[in-house]
Amino acid sequence: MSEQFEPNIVAFLCNWCSYAGADLAGTSRTHYPANLKVIRVMCTGRINPLFVLNALQQGADGVLVSGCHPGDCHYMEGNMYARRRFRLMKDLLEYLGVDSRRFHMSWVSASEGGKWKEVVEKVVDEVSEIGPFEQFKREKINW
Amino acid sequence: MSEKVLQKANWSSFVQALADARELWFPVKDGPIYKFAPYSGDVDAGLEEYAYSSVPPKAVVLPQTETMFLYQVGDKETSLPEEKKEKVVLGARPCDARAMDIVDRVFQWDEDDPYYLENRNKTAVIGLACNEPFVNCFCTSLDGSPGSTQGLDVLMVDLGDKYYLRSVTDKGSRILGDAESALEDASGEGSQAEEIIKEAEGKIKRSIDTEGIREKLEEGWEAPLWDEVSRACLGCGACTFLCPTCHCFDIQDEVEGFDGRRCRMWDSCMFGEYTLHTSGHNPRPSRKERTRNRISHKYRYYVEKFDKIACVGCGRCITSCPVNIDILDILSRVKEEL
Amino acid sequence: MVDLETIRKKAKEIVSREDVKHLIGWRKGTFGYRVTPYWVEAPEDAEELVYSPLCNTNLATSLTLAEKLPLPKGQEPDRRKTALLVRGCDSRAVVQLLTERGVDREQVVLLGLPCRGVVDLRKLKDSYPEDNEVADAEWKEDKIVLNVSGEKKEIPREEVLDDHCLVCRYPNPVEADETLGEKVEPWAEESHPGVEELENASFDKRWDFWEKEFERCIRCYACRNACPMCYCEDCILDRLNPTWIYRSNNYSENTAFHIARAFHLVGRCVSCGACERVCPAGIPLGKINQKLVKEVREKYEFEPGTDPEGVPFQASYNPQDQEDFIL
Ligand code: SF4
Ligand code: SF4
Ligand code: SF4
Ligand code: SF4
Ligand code: SF4
Ligand code: FES
Repeated sequence: MSEQFEPNIVAFLCNWCSYAGADLAGTSRTHYPANLKVIRVMCTGRINPLFVLNALQQGADGVLVSGCHPGDCHYMEGNMYARRRFRLMKDLLEYLGVDSRRFHMSWVSASEGGKWKEVVEKVVDEVSEIGPFEQFKREKINW
Repeated sequence: MSEKVLQKANWSSFVQALADARELWFPVKDGPIYKFAPYSGDVDAGLEEYAYSSVPPKAVVLPQTETMFLYQVGDKETSLPEEKKEKVVLGARPCDARAMDIVDRVFQWDEDDPYYLENRNKTAVIGLACNEPFVNCFCTSLDGSPGSTQGLDVLMVDLGDKYYLRSVTDKGSRILGDAESALEDASGEGSQAEEIIKEAEGKIKRSIDTEGIREKLEEGWEAPLWDEVSRACLGCGACTFLCPTCHCFDIQDEVEGFDGRRCRMWDSCMFGEYTLHTSGHNPRPSRKERTRNRISHKYRYYVEKFDKIACVGCGRCITSCPVNIDILDILSRVKEEL
Repeated sequence: MVDLETIRKKAKEIVSREDVKHLIGWRKGTFGYRVTPYWVEAPEDAEELVYSPLCNTNLATSLTLAEKLPLPKGQEPDRRKTALLVRGCDSRAVVQLLTERGVDREQVVLLGLPCRGVVDLRKLKDSYPEDNEVADAEWKEDKIVLNVSGEKKEIPREEVLDDHCLVCRYPNPVEADETLGEKVEPWAEESHPGVEELENASFDKRWDFWEKEFERCIRCYACRNACPMCYCEDCILDRLNPTWIYRSNNYSENTAFHIARAFHLVGRCVSCGACERVCPAGIPLGKINQKLVKEVREKYEFEPGTDPEGVPFQASYNPQDQEDFIL
């Protein structure tokens, strides 16, 4: 399966760092896997954990949340709240049986096009290893 | 009417015969509760341990979630869900069958509700008389009985090493016919069954005299009693979702990619947003009005429309209420204080 | 501990005060082991108060359940206070509410009671089936004495106590205007029963367990409504625009509901167990909540509802918060 399986990964990127970082990777013509569906938000602090949940329900095989390094958040501390929040969201998902490789968080700054590539590769590799997410995906149950 | 006997030793072949002829629904233990689920082939699952199902068998004819029609987003065409199968419910308690009879009227008094009626008409119910009524049963106060046959197609009574079965409707006779090979003709077990039922009636400890409640509910609309009895209420859906006669539903659209469905799901008048208007106005703004509605619907509005009380005395709302809001307590206070 | 007469006497005194509207406590229910929250309006009502191991609701919920309806024109709001009996967990809930500004300390009078744990009706009913007769119970050292129709039965406490109470470390109120009786000696070390077992299982085993549990949920939301910390006026579970969680009942939506509910209680759950006790489907909600309680405590040294001056967990951060999970 892993031969053909192309994971579907939803990435929530903050506008000011990670989105710009991804952009830089693009404009510098860095090659990285195209499995990501990027959703730009203003700050990681704006990412409701329900987004992650909903992405998984709606067909994501993995989710990535990425924002500014500590101290660099455009809104000073949005990423600090996000760090707590997603640490625990990850714990909760894992506790319920969602493989730890499905959910990731990263700090990628506007100048880290190279790091962005590494992060994406790692996330795509890990999700490819475990295969499609089926556990609580919405699948026309009893339609 | 046919009278049969099922030796418990033949239980599995009986169950298998039913399951071969129709989709069989059976009370299944799920964690600490029982609920009706399609028979899985587990022939050992008997009814010995089962007392009553926390989730009533109304869920078979009025599923908690039900597709009404399917569509493609952006397209005008709609299609209907798959046709429903012929079903048989085995082991419903007599009150739960009487409750179906009550719900039936709601779904056909003005417009026929095709979803419900299709399901209901295709469902046969084999009831199991209650040899040992439960703590909060009060069916005998509402013209019911642990051996009532109203709404049933077949009544089954546990006689220890065997069951006595009696068909009540033609459908019931046909069902017994399907399982004929597992059954024997009855010879005098009928009177034994009657005795057991009579004895069971005597074991019911709770009761209410329903005389005059409807009028009192009308007169006592603004009584302070409603504040008092609803104060502890959590506004949850336990009492209504689990009530075999509650039948309210909400309609929602669900979309998967470009595939959509319109579906309905149980709703509860105890929920705050049940009566919430788009404007933000809520004519039942607090738990007081909601509690009053729950009681009034069963003991007044339904009575005014169908000349019958929409409660069968199963006691589920009493047993499952987390804060012991007790319909019998409310009703007796209604009688005394209003 | 504390005897009932003392509680009733004090309750009378409190409801007689001009600045107090009513006192919320418990009274006997209508059958079996049931006890129900009770509003003492007048001094004589206090005679009905009970306090026993059967008092299994969290009274702090009564504070947040009370609807704040618009008043008819010209009518002055009733500014009198609400008095509340609080044990350890009730008081922790109030404290947590204080830190969230969910409750105004000036508006409540807290009458503290030491507690030795409440029974889990499911455990109790297994060995001592519930009957119509209204039963009584009391704490007696390490036993619980059941009194059913005049017949007394002594049961070891650990046999019937709610799992949350078995490991409760706050049996005495953490905040009260006055606490009656003698403090009890806490009996438990920190532990989170049932959590480790799942932690040690494989991902697949965990999901097998939870899928079955969540699938059974009927979405009655009794767990949410019984929880003192679930008091959002516009709960995410009811919201339709957008509909985050579909209302259809199946393992997918039910799981989403359970994750959302549990997550909203991160750093807020005071481990009272009310949610699990009210669930008509017997879903082990405590096993989810306790996992998060454990993580919050181990990773962030935060314990909800213990510091009235504290800052809500998810509305604060520490620059040193761990981030080894971040790429
Ligand atoms: S109102 Fe209560 S007792 Fe009556 S049928 Fe419904 S659940 Fe049963
Ligand atoms: S009466 Fe009981 S079961 Fe019904 S909504 Fe109120 S608290 Fe829930
Ligand atoms: S109380 Fe139980 S059945 Fe009801 S919504 Fe909560 S978990 Fe589900
Ligand atoms: S989640 Fe459950 S245990 Fe935690 S505070 Fe709410 S009711 Fe109590
Ligand atoms: S589940 Fe979440 S949104 Fe709903 S009441 Fe609880 S905390 Fe509020
Ligand atoms: S702006 Fe990038 S994390 Fe806040």
